[in-house]
Amino acid sequence: MSGRETNRVLGHAADADGIEEYDNPLPAWWLGLFYFTIGWGLVYLVDYHFVSGRSQAGYYAAELADADVRWPQKVVTAKVGDADAIGRGAQIYSQNCIGCHGPELKGGIGPDLTDGTWIHGGSAADVTRVVTEGVPAKGMVSWGPILGAEKIADVAAFVLSRGP
Amino acid sequence: MEQNSARPYDDDIARKFVAATVLWGVVGMLVGVIIALQLAWWPANLGLPWTTFGRLRPLHTNAVIFAFSANAVFAGIYYSLQRLLRTRMFNDTLSRFHFWGWQSIIVLAAVTLPLGLTSGKEYAELIWPVDLLIAVVWVAFAVNFFGTIAIRKVRHLYVAIWFYMSMVITITVLHVTNSLAVPVSFTKAYSIYPGITDGLVQWWYGHNAVGFLLTTPFLGMMYYFLPKAAERPVYSYRLSVIHFWALVFLYIWAGPHHLLYSALPDWAQTLGMVFSIILIAPSWGGMLNGLLTLRGAWDRLRTDAILKFFVVGITFYGMSTFEGPMMSIRAVNALSHYTDWTIGHVHSGALGWVGMVTFGMLYWMVPRLWDRPLYSPNAMITHFWLATIGIVLYVVAMWTAGITQGLMWRAIDESTGLLQYPNFMETVLRLMPFYWIRLLGGTMYLTGAVMMGWNFIKTANSPALVPATRS
Repeated sequence: MSGRETNRVLGHAADADGIEEYDNPLPAWWLGLFYFTIGWGLVYLVDYHFVSGRSQAGYYAAELADADVRWPQKVVTAKVGDADAIGRGAQIYSQNCIGCHGPELKGGIGPDLTDGTWIHGGSAADVTRVVTEGVPAKGMVSWGPILGAEKIADVAAFVLSRGP
Repeated sequence: MEQNSARPYDDDIARKFVAATVLWGVVGMLVGVIIALQLAWWPANLGLPWTTFGRLRPLHTNAVIFAFSANAVFAGIYYSLQRLLRTRMFNDTLSRFHFWGWQSIIVLAAVTLPLGLTSGKEYAELIWPVDLLIAVVWVAFAVNFFGTIAIRKVRHLYVAIWFYMSMVITITVLHVTNSLAVPVSFTKAYSIYPGITDGLVQWWYGHNAVGFLLTTPFLGMMYYFLPKAAERPVYSYRLSVIHFWALVFLYIWAGPHHLLYSALPDWAQTLGMVFSIILIAPSWGGMLNGLLTLRGAWDRLRTDAILKFFVVGITFYGMSTFEGPMMSIRAVNALSHYTDWTIGHVHSGALGWVGMVTFGMLYWMVPRLWDRPLYSPNAMITHFWLATIGIVLYVVAMWTAGITQGLMWRAIDESTGLLQYPNFMETVLRLMPFYWIRLLGGTMYLTGAVMMGWNFIKTANSPALVPATRS
């Protein structure tokens, strides 16, 4: 390790079931590492809270602001009656919605979408909004961040095409 | 036993704890292998509530921490404490009460956890009546422990004993504080702490259970059994003093790193992170003192399997005490938290450090406690390689799985700003190959432990050496 090692035993063996201990100094690099981490910790703490003024809530706000610039929020209302949109919507429905609303849209875990009763409103804008935001209180997830506005418009067109 | 009553030390209690360590070690690891299989192949949940992952997982962690590791610590302490202090234990009845009390707690855990009775606190799942029993048994052990120190026949307290003391005191405080609760029935109680305060107390407990049950007593055992096995003086007395005090002072602050990016105030998160980083050197002090004690004895590593167990154990200690601080850096934690990386990290500590040091210690103690040579040194070598390769497979599989999982969760489609893998199942399916590799590694580790149990039973049943030939 270094030239500072004495390898002189301390003579504790009689008190330690025969185990001897050397009187060697602390390894210099080890002590350096210890001091460095203490210094780094202090600098980080002071910088984080008092100089840069960072915070968890701040990171979140910054990420959201950044996302709003890079991917501006779009609201696309369903093209009701558009055959292409309904075709794409059927595909999206079978991949994402079928588990709760059933293959025939008759419901299951989620409500029936064909009976003419619209719990959260039945206009194109209402259906688009419900799919986008979900109904967290009843277990329906918010599909906005998962499907995106275009696909939600398509699936809403499909759902409305199957109503009464 | 007639021959033993003439000896100054109570070795019977150490033998009891050795047997319990091996038995519960095999049981705990077997449950681990079963739940690893359940993650790779869901039908292994058997469709019964008692055998589902959610109930068996706490059974696995409790068995490995409080049955395997704690019994190993008690075996090591009862063996080394009496010899270091040159006195028999303070009170043999307390020793027996400790042994049978602790085993009853384990049996109660094995019954209540599969029944779904839990406090809901990780690594402190046991319900309040069992918590009370733990407190009583632990205090009995503490009285016996400090009583033995009081009647010691030496002046100087060897470093191993400081580490043991830090465990006895700190675990008492941690267990009592974290378990404070208001019972509403015989099996149900509510924690006295509200919301995030409860979370902070829980992780102060959880982190320091790792610190003071799985780290400090094992360092104590390293300081006793390694120089004994290597027949070398400890490298540096000064290093042992400095790293002991630094470790016990700093450890207790680091718990909040389990709650980064939570409702915990930012300043408390920062403290948890900073104290974790400062813990690197005090932890490495133990690794250095262990490895440097082997200077001049490295050639023996080729042939001495006990030293091999210690060296691999200490190396994993050094690695996981570097990995832990890295994972408590906010930016790294944002990727690693909630992924299998954490599972890999705890197993490099549990299988690598705790397991390997325990095996080395047991292989050293058993021939001395039973006055017989080890039945099969070859099986010991096979155990060493099975365990070492098993750990590597396990840890590498979990690192890969964890980083894959973390990157998939955060991946964003640059053109739309939407999640690239919105369906959680996509990430689960991607991890399946790693879950099978983990199962293979864990099975190898379990197989080694079973071989050790077989080896010890054969040793205990083989003819005794005549006392004059004992070293």
